Amino acid sequence: MKDVELSAAQSGAGTEDDTLYEVRQKIYPRSVSGWFNTWRWVLVWFTQLVFYGLCWLPWNGRQAVLFDLVQRKFYIFGLVFWPQDVFFLAVLLIISAYALFLFTAVGGRLWCGYACPQTVYTEIFLWIEKVIEGDRNARMKLDQATVGGRKIAIKVAKHSAWILVALWTGFTFVGYFTPIKTLMDEVASLQFGPWETFWILFYGLATYGNAGWLREQVCKYMCPYARFQGVMFDPDTLVITYDLERGEPRGPRSKKEDYKASGKGDCVDCGLCVVVCPTGIDIRQGMQYECIGCAACIDACNQVMDKMNYPRGLIRYSTEHAVEEHWGWNDILAHIVRPRVLVYSSILLSIIAAFVWGLATKPALRVDVIRDRTVMAREVEDGAIENLYRLQVMNVSEMEERYVLSVTGLPGIQLVGDAQISVPPATTHTLTVHIRVPADSARRGANPIYFDVKSLNNLKTAVHEKASFIQP
Amino acid sequence: MQRWIWILFPSFAVACLAEFVFFSVIDPQQLYLFGEPVNYSPIATYSICFFGFWLVGMASTVFSVFLQRSPEEINRRQHRSIGHAHRKTVLH
Ligand code: SF4
Ligand code: SF4
Repeated sequence: MKDVELSAAQSGAGTEDDTLYEVRQKIYPRSVSGWFNTWRWVLVWFTQLVFYGLCWLPWNGRQAVLFDLVQRKFYIFGLVFWPQDVFFLAVLLIISAYALFLFTAVGGRLWCGYACPQTVYTEIFLWIEKVIEGDRNARMKLDQATVGGRKIAIKVAKHSAWILVALWTGFTFVGYFTPIKTLMDEVASLQFGPWETFWILFYGLATYGNAGWLREQVCKYMCPYARFQGVMFDPDTLVITYDLERGEPRGPRSKKEDYKASGKGDCVDCGLCVVVCPTGIDIRQGMQYECIGCAACIDACNQVMDKMNYPRGLIRYSTEHAVEEHWGWNDILAHIVRPRVLVYSSILLSIIAAFVWGLATKPALRVDVIRDRTVMAREVEDGAIENLYRLQVMNVSEMEERYVLSVTGLPGIQLVGDAQISVPPATTHTLTVHIRVPADSARRGANPIYFDVKSLNNLKTAVHEKASFIQP
Repeated sequence: MQRWIWILFPSFAVACLAEFVFFSVIDPQQLYLFGEPVNYSPIATYSICFFGFWLVGMASTVFSVFLQRSPEEINRRQHRSIGHAHRKTVLH
């Protein structure tokens, strides 16, 4: 009886999953060589040299690119962003998003196919897989083989190689948030900080999982960009297309056959474009959102076309309009300039201009004046009144600065004590200043006064801050 | 798998955003926990808060995934369990 119940429950669960979720078939993309694949590798090398290398680059005696979370300061080459500059970071994100919009409207999913980290790491992991396990057929055979010494050895080798790459990636990632030299010393002396270790493992695991296991599922089920690209596409966007008119009716034939006479199209139905596809789709069914635009099918089909002595480009980069109207590249290029692109570009250009202007006029010095509320105004010798202020002087520049402080706004107002301070680069200096005013020069209550902080090295660096002086 | 992705991933993305916005305006050293200043290292505070955001997001997506089941599915499930009970009583 138990058995009956169990199997009923199981089959029930089975049908339920079938209706709600498609069952994933493992995809074994066959490796391919060709023009576009070479370009992808160029970009893998470029992006990864930048990613793995940039954190080691020194600049002004510090790491060139460092998002220092502990000090709450972001360094990007000569620029230092403080928490007050978060606006710039937000604008930077908007610029990146807009650039991606514009780029997508013109070039389609070029980003996905060549530069997206998911593509890049999958490419690296696939390469490792190919070196250790072999190409598509060997991998499929290996997975079907019964578990034995050889299979275990191969799988262990592959996963170890993957894990090494993943750990190095995690280490590099964390190295953008804590100085990587310190991190390296910690690793060398086996004294990791617990949280740094945790994040290295976390990012490493994400890399290993995404590039080794999830792969195309990230693009299909996780990536929001893949979902809303339809909004940015128009009939003049560059996409990967199969030339239906030229290819159909598809069918096998011998090389010498006069296939045109027998009414066949150019597609020999070899299925190569399907087996090389990392998302497992058939581009001949038309544009699909799963297509990441990697052009592996173009490379594969061009090989077939070469072998058959047919012209290349049965599958090619083209636009909807171009395929319909039989345009060449000149027409495609001429249609890049169109209202959508103009609107996107002008918005993008204005944001960039505002951003650059903001950066250029970013003050090199910031001053916060806070009246010390714990100490009330007090009377000192000669009946003068004294207020205390806490000054936060932030040297946002990259050089040590000497500043001179002064105060104005009331007759006879004076600053007691040293009026010069020096502040090291990119640091905040907090000091307490005593301001004295003769008894009869201020009204009762709050009186406006002004602090001036001027750099001695650079006369243009000056801040004029308002504060209030309390007369009891 | 897709269900796991739905629960884990959108909440993760939102947690990243929340973390960025929250800590760009709040200094971890200025937080208070049960009336005491938080005295973890900044990295620990960032990390713990991140997981807090993530958990909240996950709770919300679990709820959404739960509510998102279609009527047929819920009915089928009910029928199945009623069917079981029925079968049991008959067989006993
Ligand atoms: S259809 Fe072609 S371009 Fe699209 S993902 Fe598959 S192989 Fe890449
Ligand atoms: S690779 Fe080219 S010829 Fe072969 S099935 Fe695909 S479209 Fe047809």
